Amino acid sequence: MTKATLAPHAAPKAPARRQPLASRRYTLEIRQQMSMPRQALVLGLAVLAGLAISGLILVAAGVPAGELFNEFIVTTLFDLQSLQAVLFQAAPLIMIGLAASIAFRARFWNLGLEGQMIWGAIGATAVSLHEIGPPALRLPLMAIAALAGGLLWALGPALLKLRLGVNEIISTLMLNYIASNFLLHLVYGAWKDPKDSFPYSPQFRSFERLPEFFGSSGMAVLLALLAMALAWWFVQASRAGLYLRFVNASPRVADAVGVPVRAIILGTVLGSGALAGLGGFLIAAGQEGRLTQAFYQGYGFSGILIAFLARNHPVAAAVVAALVATLFVAGRNLQVFYQIPFSMVQLIQAIVVMCVAASDFFIRHRLRRVAAD
Amino acid sequence: MSSALALRGIRKSFDGYLALDDAQFDARWGEVHALLGENGAGKSSLMNIAAGLYAPERGEMLVDDNAVRLAGPRDAARHRIGMVHQHFKLVRPFTVAQNILLGLPADQAGHRRQLAALEERIRAQAGELGFAIDPRQRVDSLSIAEQQRVEILKVLLAGARILILDEPTAVLTDQEAERLLRTVQGLAQRGCAVALVTHKMADVKAYADRVTVMRGGRTVATLDPRTTPAAELVRLTVGEAAAPAPRARSAPGPACLSLQGLSTPAQGGRQALAGVTLDVHAGEIYGIAGVGGNGQGELAAAIMGLIPEAGGDIVLEGFGSLRAAPATARRALGLAVIPADRYGHALAGGLSIAENFAIGQVHSGRYGSPWWLRQRRIDQDARDAVAAFDVQGVRSLRQKAALLSGGNAQKLVIAREFSKQPRLILAHTPSRGLDVRATAQVHARLLAARDAGAAVLLISEDLDEVLALADRIGVMAGGRIVAEFDQPADRQAIGQAMVHHD
Amino acid sequence: MELLTHWIGSIPDFAVPYALAALGLILAERSGVLSLGAEGLMLVGALAAIGAQLAFGATGVALVLAMAAASLVSVLFAVLVVWLRINQVIAGLALVFFCQGLTSLVGTLMGWTNQPVTSAGPIPLGPLAQLPVLGRLLSQNAVVYLTPLIFWAVVHYLQHTGSGLRLRAVGENPQAADAAGIPVAAYRFAAVVAGAALVGLAGAYISLLSTKLWIAGMTGGRGWIAVGLVIFARWSPWKALAGALLFGCIEALIPQLAAAGVQLPQYFVLMTPYVFTLGVMVWVALGRRRLDGEPGALGEPYVREERR
Repeated sequence: MTKATLAPHAAPKAPARRQPLASRRYTLEIRQQMSMPRQALVLGLAVLAGLAISGLILVAAGVPAGELFNEFIVTTLFDLQSLQAVLFQAAPLIMIGLAASIAFRARFWNLGLEGQMIWGAIGATAVSLHEIGPPALRLPLMAIAALAGGLLWALGPALLKLRLGVNEIISTLMLNYIASNFLLHLVYGAWKDPKDSFPYSPQFRSFERLPEFFGSSGMAVLLALLAMALAWWFVQASRAGLYLRFVNASPRVADAVGVPVRAIILGTVLGSGALAGLGGFLIAAGQEGRLTQAFYQGYGFSGILIAFLARNHPVAAAVVAALVATLFVAGRNLQVFYQIPFSMVQLIQAIVVMCVAASDFFIRHRLRRVAAD
Repeated sequence: MSSALALRGIRKSFDGYLALDDAQFDARWGEVHALLGENGAGKSSLMNIAAGLYAPERGEMLVDDNAVRLAGPRDAARHRIGMVHQHFKLVRPFTVAQNILLGLPADQAGHRRQLAALEERIRAQAGELGFAIDPRQRVDSLSIAEQQRVEILKVLLAGARILILDEPTAVLTDQEAERLLRTVQGLAQRGCAVALVTHKMADVKAYADRVTVMRGGRTVATLDPRTTPAAELVRLTVGEAAAPAPRARSAPGPACLSLQGLSTPAQGGRQALAGVTLDVHAGEIYGIAGVGGNGQGELAAAIMGLIPEAGGDIVLEGFGSLRAAPATARRALGLAVIPADRYGHALAGGLSIAENFAIGQVHSGRYGSPWWLRQRRIDQDARDAVAAFDVQGVRSLRQKAALLSGGNAQKLVIAREFSKQPRLILAHTPSRGLDVRATAQVHARLLAARDAGAAVLLISEDLDEVLALADRIGVMAGGRIVAEFDQPADRQAIGQAMVHHD
Repeated sequence: MELLTHWIGSIPDFAVPYALAALGLILAERSGVLSLGAEGLMLVGALAAIGAQLAFGATGVALVLAMAAASLVSVLFAVLVVWLRINQVIAGLALVFFCQGLTSLVGTLMGWTNQPVTSAGPIPLGPLAQLPVLGRLLSQNAVVYLTPLIFWAVVHYLQHTGSGLRLRAVGENPQAADAAGIPVAAYRFAAVVAGAALVGLAGAYISLLSTKLWIAGMTGGRGWIAVGLVIFARWSPWKALAGALLFGCIEALIPQLAAAGVQLPQYFVLMTPYVFTLGVMVWVALGRRRLDGEPGALGEPYVREERR
């Protein structure tokens, strides 16, 4: 058959490619699997693509192109103060990334991370304001209160989903807004620092703050790494982790082979809330030293981004969190030096997520050419 | 009679798995041409290519002796080819007329007028074919047989003259099947070409003018079924004759599993299970025969523990009522399950072979405490089991279970379930999708388990399988056991019981 | 009495954005695409409307441009979800954050933040405006009057046209639609983009006609509430309109109570819409086991050649 006798066909499902003369059809197939190194390569390329697009936007926004690399890499990482800031930022991000990762493993879209952080910080602050426990135990008690605060705030959506099938995306998000408003109620009202007119709580006493450990951020990072180890143990080494893997792969099969699906989901979501609460504690008792009104902003989506890029693996999440911390610090520098609003960071994160998600397409599908003859 | 539809030298693979290799098919105008073969022979794939749903890698297709290359199902419809699938492609909340309208090009007259005109045409066409149908009725309120008729009307009203029917009688009772095949014959007499995909020998012999036998993705032969003896057709379909499993009958023990009036709540006016009562003894295989859709799936689910709201009772000897035990606990009590839907109820495709194996006994603590999994022990056990149960294609224990072929996946399930010496085995269509060799291996395992003293409840829509394995046979119809037979059983009597129920 | 008048008269202002956003979501979701990006698209519409008004000074033009901007951004979402078939939840979330970041950036760079605008006011009614309660209620801008018309048009499209039938088929059973020769991807793409235009209009209403101002993040979760509203309305446009009116009534009540001197803790009052949405979700879940009305194939990407 010659090319002339075949009419050009539109590609059925794949993006149309221009084939001027020859008629080629593309068909879409689901791939059975792709090797790990190749997956990592695709992932890496996608991240780079995302950053490149973001770079273009930054240039359009007024950052000189030559300065981009300088800003993002050099200034951020090779300046000691900046590096400290990165570590500072990394600790809560690791916590939130872990929180998101384990919830997603249970197929639970925990978008309420910010609300859980808020309640974690509120719990810790409550212990401080009411002076619960002797000074030596104050900090651990604050941590426990934070853990409980985040856990309890996640309990509602978890039960609603398990018992009633209420969509957790909406329920957790609504709770975020409720929590943030309650926080404002506290810091503008009952818990407002009488010393000045700013909306925050009184400062924590010295023993109510994270102690110095290799600089100001060492303790927080240590706690975050401990949490990472705990999460790794839960996911990889414990029996519950095996159950969780089945719940993630196929809840139906999990049910049929005897996995206690509901208990696993509930426990995992509560654990996620607890971690987020601890993240709030790290910021309140570490960075801020008090309860502030906007400390949680940006962490919610960052957590999702981290979990998504790390494919829900705890150790990878810690690594990605460190990278996101770099992004945060670079973003602040951009704000200071080039008046780029901090929401640029959010934009960059969204672009990277989209690129990585788009690359998932190539991991899961194969575009195959069906020859004209 | 000239050729209506011809496929030659077709080759098709799905991501590495070769489904069709040099397949041929040739249907003439005015004939009913059966396409016969076992599960996995490639019949559906070949016909999906003819209907424009898949694109072949190699080979050619001719409609009315003209070479064509289909770009999609709409293109196929334009060439007057229409396919009625096994799984109906109907939009359930829509009415009959709306469903049929979907496949037709839009009309200048406007939607509402077109719909009204179509309703008339539907009534007329249905009358011609010999049945009545209300075009305004919603599809989800129709019976399976009625829905199938809607599918046929759909392709006819879209102008199809070449009809492809994919396993049409699989979900019908004998009477409904007879009506359908007679309708199909009528269509052929009116000049249409009908391709009938089936694995039922009886249908082929009774209604087909010619039959093409497929096996392993290839076309084996094209013959006249009326002059070819059934044994020859069987030989061509299954290849080498599978030796019947040896039937050593040891004395059965006490009743291990006792179902008493097991029922499910009514849904849409029907009860899937309407009071199932039976006993399975240790050291025996109780086979449940019946046409699919009579509650077999629900029975399996109820025994697995997935239907907590079921009425009646399931009693396990030595334990008592299983109502107290959730699905997790039942496994611990010695229940092994080989479900019909491998990747829906037995294996998590995305997880590794080791993990899928481990989940079988991890509850009992064999693989470590809840705080620390003993990975090495899991790997050792899995390796031993894979070797013992001849699971092929395992390059690494870490590879995803979804990569195993059907037969090997089934063997993995059996390896996992049988590793813990179960006392009660539930096998639901265990050889679905398996080739002859794998089926023989699975059957051998079930018999061995029986001989070791387990009670085996076999549910299968394949009467041959039930007859080959079961010591006692129960016929399930309308959600109940309507008749029981001891082996050696009369096949005709069983068939009767399957269709005549009150 | 004054209070009642003001309250009733202000209900449409609160209800219309919810109604239009919900309708846009319903259109997209009826084709089977789970649309979580409403919050982001509303922001895009809001920003574009203000920007266009500052540039051109004509309300009608600004509204159209806002719809176009939202549709344009939704193309990105459609490409990700319909062509590349990525997880629709992730894509929706990413879209929201993309839009939040983008609108904040553009708003700041272009200097559109906090710039008050003058836009079209209520339609002149002459003597009708003097009626006791009704007068205030009927004094609404053109978009409020257009809203029921838009609803009618969409319902007519979905229920009484061949194209609408095909769209619903795509959302209920894409395999069946594909087998019938309906171009599934094309319909989904079009539904997403068309729906986005309505969502953009909702956002434009908030910024251009309601507050007459742009501030980053000004939609404050209303897009998410609209998502909940669609579930509450079980994907039926008229039920969504009713739900939007209900929400509007409640939100409109808050400033009136404050004006009446009723002392309510400020931030608890601000929580009301979110608590209400949550309550509504729970109520829906308690009522029905299965959400009928939910398009059968909602949220599932469609690939024709699937083998397990």
